[in-house]
Amino acid sequence: MDIELSELQRQLQASARRFLEDRCPLSLVRQLENSDPGLPHDLWSEMARLGWLGLPIPQERGGAGLGLQDLVVLAKELGRALCPVPYIPTVVVAGGLVASAEGFVQRDALLARIMEGSLIVAFAFLERGQYYDYREVEARAVPTEDGFVIDGTKRFVEFATAADLLLVVARTGEGAPADGLSLFLVDAASPGLEVSRQRTSARDPQHRVTFRGVRVPRERLLGGEGEGWRLLRPVLRRAVVASCGYMIGVAEKAHALGVEYAKQRVQFGRPIGSFQAVQHYLAETVTQIVAADTLTFYAAWCIDNDLPEDEVDAVVAKAKLAAGEAVKAATFIAAQVHGGLGYIEDVDITLFLRRGKQLQLSMGGPRYWSEELAASLLS
Amino acid sequence: MDFRFSPEEEAFRQEVRRFLDEALTDEVRTRFGLLDTPERQRFGDKLAERGWLGLGFPSEYGGAGEGLRFAPYILNQELLRAQAPIVGKNVGIIANVILRHGSEELKKEFLPRIFRNEIQWAIAYTEPEAGSDLANLQCRAVLEGDEFVVTGTKRFITSAHFADYYWAAVRTDPTAQPKHRGISLLIIDASLPGITVTPMWTIIGERTNEVYFDNVRVPKKYLVGELNQGWYYVMEALNFERFTLTSTVPTEQKFRRLVEWVKAAQVDGRRLADDPGVRRLVARLAVLVEMARMLEIRCICTAVNPENVAAVEAAMNKMWGAVVETELADATLDLMGTPGYLAAGDEEAPLGGQVLDDYLFVGHMRVAAAGVDIAKNLIAKRLLGLPSGS
Repeated sequence: MDIELSELQRQLQASARRFLEDRCPLSLVRQLENSDPGLPHDLWSEMARLGWLGLPIPQERGGAGLGLQDLVVLAKELGRALCPVPYIPTVVVAGGLVASAEGFVQRDALLARIMEGSLIVAFAFLERGQYYDYREVEARAVPTEDGFVIDGTKRFVEFATAADLLLVVARTGEGAPADGLSLFLVDAASPGLEVSRQRTSARDPQHRVTFRGVRVPRERLLGGEGEGWRLLRPVLRRAVVASCGYMIGVAEKAHALGVEYAKQRVQFGRPIGSFQAVQHYLAETVTQIVAADTLTFYAAWCIDNDLPEDEVDAVVAKAKLAAGEAVKAATFIAAQVHGGLGYIEDVDITLFLRRGKQLQLSMGGPRYWSEELAASLLS
Repeated sequence: MDFRFSPEEEAFRQEVRRFLDEALTDEVRTRFGLLDTPERQRFGDKLAERGWLGLGFPSEYGGAGEGLRFAPYILNQELLRAQAPIVGKNVGIIANVILRHGSEELKKEFLPRIFRNEIQWAIAYTEPEAGSDLANLQCRAVLEGDEFVVTGTKRFITSAHFADYYWAAVRTDPTAQPKHRGISLLIIDASLPGITVTPMWTIIGERTNEVYFDNVRVPKKYLVGELNQGWYYVMEALNFERFTLTSTVPTEQKFRRLVEWVKAAQVDGRRLADDPGVRRLVARLAVLVEMARMLEIRCICTAVNPENVAAVEAAMNKMWGAVVETELADATLDLMGTPGYLAAGDEEAPLGGQVLDDYLFVGHMRVAAAGVDIAKNLIAKRLLGLPSGS
């Protein structure tokens, strides 16, 4: 039993923190809010040069082949910086899927472009935002002679206007809901695609993407017809754990800002951090963060070590619920500790407050994951 | 990272389980963890025979020597799982502090006897006017020649009615400012003249005690460590206490008991397990329990290194454990409805009234050994560096 970071993980953590403090200050995060397409191109290219975009890609596919625990270390640093890049959709989801798609002809070419930072892939999966699995998908892809025609509406598609390709999950078959899904890499410039921006709490680039008779050639079918969920499921688990890491990073940084403010803000003749009411809020939230952090690494470790699927599913659900609650609570309390300033537009902590709850609701909210967990416990 | 125990450590766990299958009879089993009856002391002797009381302690003092690093924690988990008496107080707390700070003479006198289960201890810190504000303790020890003369009252001394020795925090400098700089740690033989023990019964039938020391003369050599440094040893021992006396194993057991009960329960012919509110609650508790387990792992992984005292980790573990136990008992009773308040002994009491007992006593976890609020103070100061109030 050992829960220390490895030497490699400590180095990755230190170098990522230094780099992001320098290249991704909160001023950049603020400047990119509400902007379109909202992608910091230079930062993304530098991340490619640092090898971050190939970090979880297997070595035999040209990546670094690191584990999910290492990925969590990096995701935490991205979260601390509120780094607004499509790391999870492009690298973890699309990169992970393409790497695992045996026999996909463009596999290595696409992976190479993802890793060099020249290919952005957006993930067009959610429709109503009530589930984070096959039940979410109603969009249809009807086979034609040389490919498929996609119709439907996707929402919460991050970086859709920055993307070169959209990774689309659509129904190609009938039968059991999990069985009829297929995955497509759709050219973002395809006729029949309509993209409109959604206004979010984080003011980040998320889009509603409507497909009206969008034609996609057969060679852009990723994996076999009807194999979508089988391929997607393990990749989504990894993506959810990576997002837990991101949430922990956001929570840690917000909490640190709250502590810092509590030390210097003087009321009643002394720093407000000397009052037990304030101390106890901060002590409770830091305990939540620490527990959720260890739980996130535990979930990553379970996946890295191929533990049985049902066990992994339950642990991932717990990690997502714990990290989501931690980032919500930490950002909410940190803003509250700032008093009135915690709600003023140009104060840094509000960047965190606006993201905390959004992150908790992303990739399946607490209701969804609670039900998943309850189902696994009570069946 | 590795969240597994090693194969050797898992083999040790199996060995402990096999032992418990045999040695744990109904007379030995206890909800309160104490070696307080002849049967339970004989059980302690069997643990000693196997060398399990001296795990990790140097062999020159009768310990088992360097062994599996996590063995003491695994033993503790298995004892708690089986509702056996536990050994965390004598070994985890007292032997550790004697080893770290005691004189050579004390180590030689006490450590081998602890590891052979020859002596039982009572921890005597708390007083009527010194609870959370432990530094306010007044029990006096005045040095007269080669003896300390001890006078005062100790309260909530759980093992006092069967202990051979008291592990007592006493005031040796009444003028010290701040107050905690005038406290020393003393080993007091329970058979000395001048000691009176009177019981205090808890609401679920556990015995604790008030102890009166009236001019009890204690040889000077039974001072642990330095004079007036006792506060620091006590604080260190409390960090051991916050996790050597507990584990999340019983918490997980209670959670599984809840899950099984929910799966079987019906209201108006409908399964309780199909009620969305119930499902949400069960999921929430599952997360809280798992978080407690993670905090315990952090504690153990920190404390396993003898250089470390896991102060912050122990405070987090303590706080979260108490919060989860409270929610678990409270929520389970809520699900039971009105029959939830039927007590042990009532034939219709759900789960034999155990959950009600848990609820009634869980507040104890929130206040004992520096309670939840004190733990938060410690986290705020030690981890976050927030300033002290005036």
